[in-house]
Amino acid sequence: MIVIEVLAGGVRGGTAILYAALGETLAERAGIINLGTEGSMLAGALTAYAITAETGSPWAGVVTGALAGALLAAVHVFMVVARGANQLATGLVVLFLGGGLTAMFGAAYVGRSITPFRPYAIPLLSDIPGLGPVLFDHDPLVYLSYLLAPALWWLLFRSRWGLIVRGAGEHPAALSAYGHSPKLVRYLAVIGGGLLTGIGGAHLSTAYANAWFENMTTGRGFIAVALVIFAAWHPLRAVGGAYLFGAALALSPALQARGYGFNQFVLDALPYLVTIAALIVLGRRRINAAPEDLSRVFDLTPSR
Amino acid sequence: MTDTQVTVPDVRPQIVDNRQKQVLGWVVAVAGAPVIFGAFVAVKGVNPFTVYADMLTSLADPVQGQAVLVRAAVLLLAGLAVAVPARAGLLNVGGEGQIVIGAVSAAGVGLIADQRLPGGLVLVLMVLAAMAGGAAWAGLAAGLRLTVKVNEAISTLLLNFVAIDIMLGLIYDPWKDASGFGQPSSRPLADTARLPLFTTGGTLNAGIVLALLALVGVWAALRYTTWGFRLRVVGGNPEAARRAGMRVGPLLLSAMLVGGALAGLAGLVHFAGTEFKLRPGMTTNFGYIGFLASWLAMHRPLRVGLAAVLLAAIAMGGDSLQIDAGLPAASLNVLMAVVLLVVLGSRLAPRRKS
Repeated sequence: MIVIEVLAGGVRGGTAILYAALGETLAERAGIINLGTEGSMLAGALTAYAITAETGSPWAGVVTGALAGALLAAVHVFMVVARGANQLATGLVVLFLGGGLTAMFGAAYVGRSITPFRPYAIPLLSDIPGLGPVLFDHDPLVYLSYLLAPALWWLLFRSRWGLIVRGAGEHPAALSAYGHSPKLVRYLAVIGGGLLTGIGGAHLSTAYANAWFENMTTGRGFIAVALVIFAAWHPLRAVGGAYLFGAALALSPALQARGYGFNQFVLDALPYLVTIAALIVLGRRRINAAPEDLSRVFDLTPSR
Repeated sequence: MTDTQVTVPDVRPQIVDNRQKQVLGWVVAVAGAPVIFGAFVAVKGVNPFTVYADMLTSLADPVQGQAVLVRAAVLLLAGLAVAVPARAGLLNVGGEGQIVIGAVSAAGVGLIADQRLPGGLVLVLMVLAAMAGGAAWAGLAAGLRLTVKVNEAISTLLLNFVAIDIMLGLIYDPWKDASGFGQPSSRPLADTARLPLFTTGGTLNAGIVLALLALVGVWAALRYTTWGFRLRVVGGNPEAARRAGMRVGPLLLSAMLVGGALAGLAGLVHFAGTEFKLRPGMTTNFGYIGFLASWLAMHRPLRVGLAAVLLAAIAMGGDSLQIDAGLPAASLNVLMAVVLLVVLGSRLAPRRKS
């Protein structure tokens, strides 16, 4: 069934984007946008792949990949918070840094083989017709993301800790009046976001593609940034969005495998067009949902 | 008339001359970045001193020198494409896509006309098509910004990927050169319609003239015209501009259109000056590097020129790096990023104290 194949592929391919989008949600809720997400993903992907190749354990790869993602995010937040650099420009520079470093150190790992994450079908659940193969026949990182999204939602919206993070994003002055340091919160949120983004990259190289090649994320980090806006800074909505993009990515090979002849680049452009369309449709709501202090970064100029 | 004495507190703004600090920042960036990059290279097991020596000796070669100027011409236009919108407070991250669309538009006109019309005329038509194409692509993002408030940094970024897919879609199917080998590409442009070379056998083409003309034009327009003044006001304080009766929307749109047209021109210069056919990966991040050039130059046109030459030289060094030291050319992105980080971080630091 092509529908099941595409949907299952959507979950599998969307997971890397989901991790990155969740990380970016955390950072943006604290008031910092990180366009360097793509760089953190690349760092996570290469580090995870290299460590998996050296140690034979994909779990060791994921942990180090997450740390690598966090390290690049730390560069970003340091530049923005401590040095007052422009967030959007710094993010792009961090992307270049990540792309350059991974190209430089990754050349040795192109074509190396690893023992990747194996899909593990959950007993009973994976037997449910339709739903089973789509949701419950995946690698462990996919299952972890099922838990992570609600956990992040609970942390952000139901815990005291989340209140502080959102305070840093909405009204940092009020937060410091209550004795918390918005700067510290932002550091932690952006670096934590980098950790999650690094896991996303690790999923890409050690569970999805099972390979490393230069610039292998091909815009997934940017899609994640757009997805955060698409999801109105809400972790649970990001899940649906991520799988939608994953499905768009899975559609092209699925159709081609069945011998439908067509120009694949039309489909390749689809995720980007869908994101733009979503930004247009959700335009109004998006403005109201944006963390107050973050919209300051976005709306440099009024529209008319 | 009353003789009440009003004591006016002395609140005249102090004129801060931070030019020295800026120069210092540049020096630190230009001197410090190679040290950091050298450390990365050393970790990779390559002697950084031989790398730098190779880069410098390769630049001394006149053939390489020409190649640097060829690349600098494209980067200069790509940088100006960022600098003009930035004056109005807009972030054009879409140079890459606008360059691609510019090249595609030029190629479209070229493929139809280069066998039928005289070369000079074809070239003029291609310039117009490329600028119109780039402007239209940037205009999409500006339109989204003005009508539905989609941030232009996000939309221009996403449109980059769409633009590349459009080009790939064209050269894999309708525009594919049937007689080409290996990589799919479009048919090469006829010799007569290419940008003329300065010396026969050299690589330096008339693109550098176009780029310098654009540089002077942008510099003069921003400095001496009402339009340039208004852009700066909008970029500085849009609310004040609106209250002063300026029509902010059309101004923003015009800045973005001019930026897009410049990027489109960059696409033409690269296509009709160096590549002559569309192929996958032909733009090699010109748009993003131009973005960095503009930030390196603080969006000042003349400095964008300097930054373009500097970054072009670094990138050409990347090619020699790949050949001599076995490092991927993209490694040089690290050097560029470190330069930019130092500049971005050092220049705004004093202003932060408010």
